[in-house]
Amino acid sequence: MGVRSTSQEITRETKERRSHSSSSSTSLVTSLMKSWRISSSSSSGSSSKPSNKSSQSFSGNPTTGTYNDTMYNNHSHTNDNNTNQQHRPSNEHGLYSLSTANNSDGNFDAMSKQQNSTNKSITSPANTYSPLRYSSPSSSQIESPRASVLRQQHYKHSHHNQLYYQHNNSSNISEHSTTHKKSSDKYFEDLDEDWSAVIDNYNMPIPMLTNGGNGKSSVSHNTQSNDPKNNLSRTSTASSIATSITSTTLTQGQSLQYPQLPNLNTMDAIDLQKSQEEIENEREVQELNSIMQRITKFDNIIKGKHIINLQELRQLSWNGIPKPHRPIVWKLLIGYLPANTKRQESLLKRKRQEYSEGLKHTFSDEHSRDIPTWHQIEIDIPRTNPHIPLYQFKSVHDSLQRILYLWAIRHPASGYVQGINDLVTPFFQTFLTEYLPPSKIDTVEVTDPNSYLTEDQKEHLEADTFWCLTKFLEQITDNYIHGQPGILKQVKNLSQLVKRIDLDLYKHFENEHVEFIQFAFRWMNCLLMREFQMDTVIRMWDTYLAETSPETTSSFATPNQLSTNNDVLLSPHTPVSRKPAMFGTPNADLTSPMSSTNRSNMGVQSGASPAGVSSSDDSSTRFSNTSLNEFHVFVCAAFLIKWSDALCDMDFQGIITFLQNPPTKDWTETDIEMLLSEAYIWQSLYKDATSHWLK
Amino acid sequence: MSNPITSIKLVLLGEAAVGKSSIVLRFVSNDFSENKEPTIGAAFLTQRVNINDHTVKFEIWDTAGQERFASLAPMYYRNAQAALVVYDVTKPQSFIKARHWVKELHEQANKNIIIALVGNKVDILEENEEERKVEREEAEKLADEEGLLFFETSAKTGTNISEVFLGIGEKIPLKGLENEHANGGLNVTEDQRVNLANTANASENASACSC
Repeated sequence: MGVRSTSQEITRETKERRSHSSSSSTSLVTSLMKSWRISSSSSSGSSSKPSNKSSQSFSGNPTTGTYNDTMYNNHSHTNDNNTNQQHRPSNEHGLYSLSTANNSDGNFDAMSKQQNSTNKSITSPANTYSPLRYSSPSSSQIESPRASVLRQQHYKHSHHNQLYYQHNNSSNISEHSTTHKKSSDKYFEDLDEDWSAVIDNYNMPIPMLTNGGNGKSSVSHNTQSNDPKNNLSRTSTASSIATSITSTTLTQGQSLQYPQLPNLNTMDAIDLQKSQEEIENEREVQELNSIMQRITKFDNIIKGKHIINLQELRQLSWNGIPKPHRPIVWKLLIGYLPANTKRQESLLKRKRQEYSEGLKHTFSDEHSRDIPTWHQIEIDIPRTNPHIPLYQFKSVHDSLQRILYLWAIRHPASGYVQGINDLVTPFFQTFLTEYLPPSKIDTVEVTDPNSYLTEDQKEHLEADTFWCLTKFLEQITDNYIHGQPGILKQVKNLSQLVKRIDLDLYKHFENEHVEFIQFAFRWMNCLLMREFQMDTVIRMWDTYLAETSPETTSSFATPNQLSTNNDVLLSPHTPVSRKPAMFGTPNADLTSPMSSTNRSNMGVQSGASPAGVSSSDDSSTRFSNTSLNEFHVFVCAAFLIKWSDALCDMDFQGIITFLQNPPTKDWTETDIEMLLSEAYIWQSLYKDATSHWLK
Repeated sequence: MSNPITSIKLVLLGEAAVGKSSIVLRFVSNDFSENKEPTIGAAFLTQRVNINDHTVKFEIWDTAGQERFASLAPMYYRNAQAALVVYDVTKPQSFIKARHWVKELHEQANKNIIIALVGNKVDILEENEEERKVEREEAEKLADEEGLLFFETSAKTGTNISEVFLGIGEKIPLKGLENEHANGGLNVTEDQRVNLANTANASENASACSC
């Protein structure tokens, strides 16, 4: 109970702080700073990924700091500025200070805000965003006993690690990542026996992303920061705290970020009397500020650099990419544009020309048209995103028709498969915004490109879309070849994952004779695009493209790319060697021990290999092991489990009907971000357990 | 028991874009939309209708038409008591595909499966009869040979849609009558699943399983 009441106190205090982040104050500040420096460095500093989100969803326990204090005190002070400044971007909300200062006050503000958002989610994960959604079920199911066992194990383990990292913390980046590799080696050894090792192992690549983060991922921190004895699952924390806080808070949604809490302890009572209006204004200023901050961060990475640091870019992009940057960032993340900015122009020129020559050749007389394919695409084009006006324009139809047809005949093993027509559209729509006047970017879905784009621009748009689609689909080739083995495998993995995470739901499906393929096939085939509105899909793809490394793709590499991205060549696990392990061969027995062996081997390699490969450019250091298919399964799992309680009360018909039309119409980016963060957590817990599932 | 409910598991098969989903949408929601997203995998819908004092509940699996997804089809027709094999009267290729589906159903599906051959999009012919590419006689001939029900429909206008389902409903042994025939104990089949075509007396709940 001690822990919880402490959390409540801090929660309240922080809520006050939130409204008055610019005013500095006394001992509370000190204590908060102390604790939040720590958890800030733990979440934003060490993990690029969901950072504040993972703390939202998992730990969110203000005692984090307290607990970590002893362990982290030293380095958190030495590294504080550096870490926080560098990694604040991973705090989705950016800097919340009204001032633009990046000094320690600013840091504190950011941290305090981070805590706020954390607390928000603790106190009312549901109400903060969308009551229906997040009060749902999932949260109660989210922590299976297995997970808490894991955490306990990991908890013990991380003790050692922490000391270890503390020791290393002051070392520079490259040393740091080297150390990591060593430690990952160490933990890979007993991979199969020790679940906690599995988790450590997973966390290994993460610090490499962070240029001197303190080498632990947020997940591990969160994991260990939850006192396992109290088993503070998100829900239990949430409910216990929520009940003690006024219901006002609970019913206030995100729109009221600065709720007036009637029973606040005292501090800043005067400020609380600020008018609602003032508070609103303040909030708007802050939001604007944070947006500007984010834009600046992207600018800093992308603009005026000879070599763009893809690592940083991925890290930053995980939490969403500002609209103006999205086209170029997507092209970078997916490996279409080289990181070397001096080569970008020539590459674009060449690829665009290649595309246009490809078209010429394809539509020339000597090339006979593949009529069935052409016809199928022709039928499907008007049926693509029929609810979005953009996709009803003739010029858009023509572009998509050419893109899809050219892709299909260039990939005869799969050819055109329905669903690919969905997948092309986020690229098209995003790249289209590049050519629209800023005022039209927000209304791209109703804007006829013909009115704004020159012929050249339309060609460029088409070519870029084609190549990025190509890169994207290369990661999921097995989804569309005969028999669609990639999808079958994903569906199988999803069911196994749900069995682990949420056995009740799994059993209920069994009892009701619901088979995963009945609803999940489409989830895989269209990457959940049919389940969400386009803007949320695009936001989701920010994370997908950031999360999944282009190195998992196969041989798109043209000579040009090989030279700019030598990682592809030098990597000890080229796509050739890893693909079979990821997806299995078309008829591979899913339970084949072979595949699990490969998986672990791969892990070892990736943990150990990057040294030397990328000394020249740390941006080309291996980002992660994640393949698109793999991460997507975790997103699907998070999505399914979100509805767990509701589903468990339904019969077959109810379940299938519900899952065919999940209530996601009103989902905002925040909802998607929660989902992605949950997926990330599941992945960090279970990713390397595939060898266990499949036995 | 005055109004027992019989569940009929029904599957739709046919080439892409012949209007399978539209037929179901018309039947279930009496609605139509010109450009429907292609079905991926399969969609599940239900509809209840009254036939001769009996309530019949159709549990419909509307499958994806594209060839690539064809390998999923057996999962959906394996336990079906009825199937609609749909083609587009303006697309000869779709009729060839329909023949294939009929053949496959006879070979692979439940022996007692009721199949309706459905030529869709006749509304196009009302505007221009020359658009017809599959003659009615040709389709009727196939239906006769294979023992199929046959309908020409338009999901767009609603022509003949409910007739298709009523026609199927009348062919399926209804629950109340079934009991009189003491036709019980047939649930066990080659498959571990319940074979509903032989077990119209199966409970309602059982009908919710294994499709």
